[in-house]
Amino acid sequence: MSAEAQPAGAGATPLPARWPRRRFALLHLSLQAVVVGLCLLVISIPLPAPGSRYAVREATVAGPDGPTPALLPATFPGSTPRRINLALSFTAPDRLTEEWSVLTPRFTNAAQILVNGVVVLDTRRNASNNRPDRNAADMAVIPAQLLRPGVNELSVRLYVWGPLSGFLDTLYVGPDSILRDAWGWRVLLFDALPVVLSSWQVILALVLGIMWFKRRQETAYGVLAAAMALGALRTFLIPPEQVSWLAGIRAAAIGSAPLESGLMLLFCMLFLGRRLTPLFTALALAPGVIIAVAGLAGGPDMARQAFIWPGLPAMALCLGGVAWLTHRAALARRDLVSVLLASAATVLATCLIRDVLTIAGALPHQRIFVTRMAYAAVMTVTGACLTWRFASALNEVDSFAGRLVSQVREAEDKLRASFAREEQRKHAAALASERARLTRDLHDGLGGQLVSIVALAERSGGAHGAQIGEAARSALRDLRLVIDAMDDIDGDLMLALGAWRERTAARLRPHDIRLDWQPLSPGGLPVHQELRPWHVIQLLRLLDEAVTNTVKHANAGCITVSFGSFSDGDGPARGRIIIADDGHGFSGQATPQGRGLDNMRRRAGRCGVSLSLDSGPDGVRVTLDLPARFPETEIPA
Amino acid sequence: MTATPADTGSASAPSGGITVLLVEDDAPTRGRLRDALASEPGFTIREAGAMAEARAALDQSAPDVLLTDLQLPDGHGVDLIRETRARFPRAEIMVISILGDEESVIAAISVGATGYLLKDAFPTDIAATVRDLVAGHSPISASIARFIVRRAQREPDAAARPQLNTARLTPREIDILWGIAKGFSYADIAAHLGLSRQTVPGHIKSIYRKLEVNTRGEAVFEAVQQGLIKL
Repeated sequence: MSAEAQPAGAGATPLPARWPRRRFALLHLSLQAVVVGLCLLVISIPLPAPGSRYAVREATVAGPDGPTPALLPATFPGSTPRRINLALSFTAPDRLTEEWSVLTPRFTNAAQILVNGVVVLDTRRNASNNRPDRNAADMAVIPAQLLRPGVNELSVRLYVWGPLSGFLDTLYVGPDSILRDAWGWRVLLFDALPVVLSSWQVILALVLGIMWFKRRQETAYGVLAAAMALGALRTFLIPPEQVSWLAGIRAAAIGSAPLESGLMLLFCMLFLGRRLTPLFTALALAPGVIIAVAGLAGGPDMARQAFIWPGLPAMALCLGGVAWLTHRAALARRDLVSVLLASAATVLATCLIRDVLTIAGALPHQRIFVTRMAYAAVMTVTGACLTWRFASALNEVDSFAGRLVSQVREAEDKLRASFAREEQRKHAAALASERARLTRDLHDGLGGQLVSIVALAERSGGAHGAQIGEAARSALRDLRLVIDAMDDIDGDLMLALGAWRERTAARLRPHDIRLDWQPLSPGGLPVHQELRPWHVIQLLRLLDEAVTNTVKHANAGCITVSFGSFSDGDGPARGRIIIADDGHGFSGQATPQGRGLDNMRRRAGRCGVSLSLDSGPDGVRVTLDLPARFPETEIPA
Repeated sequence: MTATPADTGSASAPSGGITVLLVEDDAPTRGRLRDALASEPGFTIREAGAMAEARAALDQSAPDVLLTDLQLPDGHGVDLIRETRARFPRAEIMVISILGDEESVIAAISVGATGYLLKDAFPTDIAATVRDLVAGHSPISASIARFIVRRAQREPDAAARPQLNTARLTPREIDILWGIAKGFSYADIAAHLGLSRQTVPGHIKSIYRKLEVNTRGEAVFEAVQQGLIKL
């Protein structure tokens, strides 16, 4: 099997719902019965005929035992080649108002028609008429001077050269316009239509061939292209008359139907994903090759014999194989494409059986062959379906590509985002590791020494010792503040304030000052993504200084820190921190002075915070209005 | 050193007093801490200046509270905490930290400490903190709370040290930690979360317990070995 053929079959359009097996089998059989019925119905539609008053049916056949009567249409079995002479008659009107013609709708193999002893029509002049598989009709105008008023003599010389028995359909003699109409229909049906179908086949063969050429793994396409090309070639080749090398080729080509049916069988197998062994391939193509060789070597007669045997049985076998394969596939897969292929096989089988019956003489009064046309139509439809599916596959590839492009874009975006995240993470990690390093250094060195100073100062006692102890504690506090400010708090100032509160509460406890914590809005302070450690250090030191001032000067019992977000109009919410004490304010000083306050203002200014100071008899109140966005670099004072 | 049932059973101090084993190598600091505790009634204090001494003291009797520095001349305080935790599950363990930085405190918590004390804390605070601890109130700082919740909310990062298993923390516990990190008092947090104020310290102790690395501190040990945590 060609593994590549698998997707071709597997990619078939599934029916909307998968039917249960038994129900589907029943349905499929009913559908095939309908297809057969429709075929027979279409075939049984009578071909346009000029009207029975112009029909000439009664003939006398000249034979060795004297003349015998015959009624057209008639079949003439017997040895070939031979010539059959028929004598008929018709009545012409006394006065001719228009041209009269003679029409022979169907004849095998060729006919020469004489009116009053003069040849008016010889079908052999049109070479394609000689093809027995073509349902050729022919007509000719009867020269006016030949016609006699009253009864006229009509003779037919029917040439039969096999392999089919001789056949002559009802002859028509009458006004040219009426006969030509009927003849025109037949030309359209049996001449023009096959050419049109064959042209389609040529185009499809080309398209499929190119597809196969560009995609060698699609063997099914290549095989179908070959079958179509062969079929088209046969349509356009004229049958040979004389023995010549060209005639041999022609004979081979015309006798190539078995080769074509072999190719069809191979196509079906490939399309349905069957295993294709070299032996099977050789067997399927052998009859066709034998006929071709016979045609090339032995000329038309040999080709003709070879076509009958083994050509016809091979074709029947191939078609049977195709029907078997497609119906099995339809029942197994239950998809639209398999059902369509099976129905096409049914149509072909119906037509072929009918044609075989015709040839065998079971249907004596007609000789219209339908298989070729049905085959051409089915091939065209099959090719169109394949092209359709190819285009659908291209669409799928397109949408797949589109999906891929969008997926790649998404992935790129994600990657970019993750790069940015990674950068951020790296930055945070670098900061954290730097902070850890610093912490360790301070811990091991400065921190330990400061703690020792605190302990020694306490032990030494006295006011001096207490001062030293307080200074060392203050240094330790500052150390903790710096370390804390370096922590990655993702712009949430509240997290820095939380640790500050703890330190400050511990610091205030010996002074008997309470620290109250009062959120003014539910969310607390807004988050500032741009917040950097230096902002935090400035703010916390500012707060520390405010607390120091209170401790030193205010004689307060409580410090209240309140904070919240406030929105002024349309702008984003801005944070505010208020530190208020319940001391006696800057008593006696109209404008508060001092290094502490100047420092606080400077710190506030550096990071864009506006500071306002209210002092009254019930305490000092420092209000810090945070900027909407903290500056990237320090604002110079 | 093997733990005997008698050891673990003797955690309850006689006459209601609190037995404290103080392990600190810096003599002035040790003296300061001892004085802070001794000045308050109800404390029985034993001192050690190194790991070996601390172990000897532990062999003698079980303390109610182990108060230990991390940097000891003959070993890591982390090992001492781990051993004490294994031998005396009912003993409270507190680490003495210079800076209260999360690296050292978290390392101590992960081996079984349930609190920390700043070395320069005021004497009254020192005694009060130890009392609170014995009463079941584990102290937690805002920066430690911040460290834990931020670690809990980040993707697990294998490279992050010290390792901290925050997976077992409940959303409520994380809420409490957030409140502490943002500087709110237990009363504020309790009111905000609809808890009783008294239950908050219990939650914090539970948080500490959940953060303990039970497999004998392998992760921490490994980190120490690699020099990633310098205690």
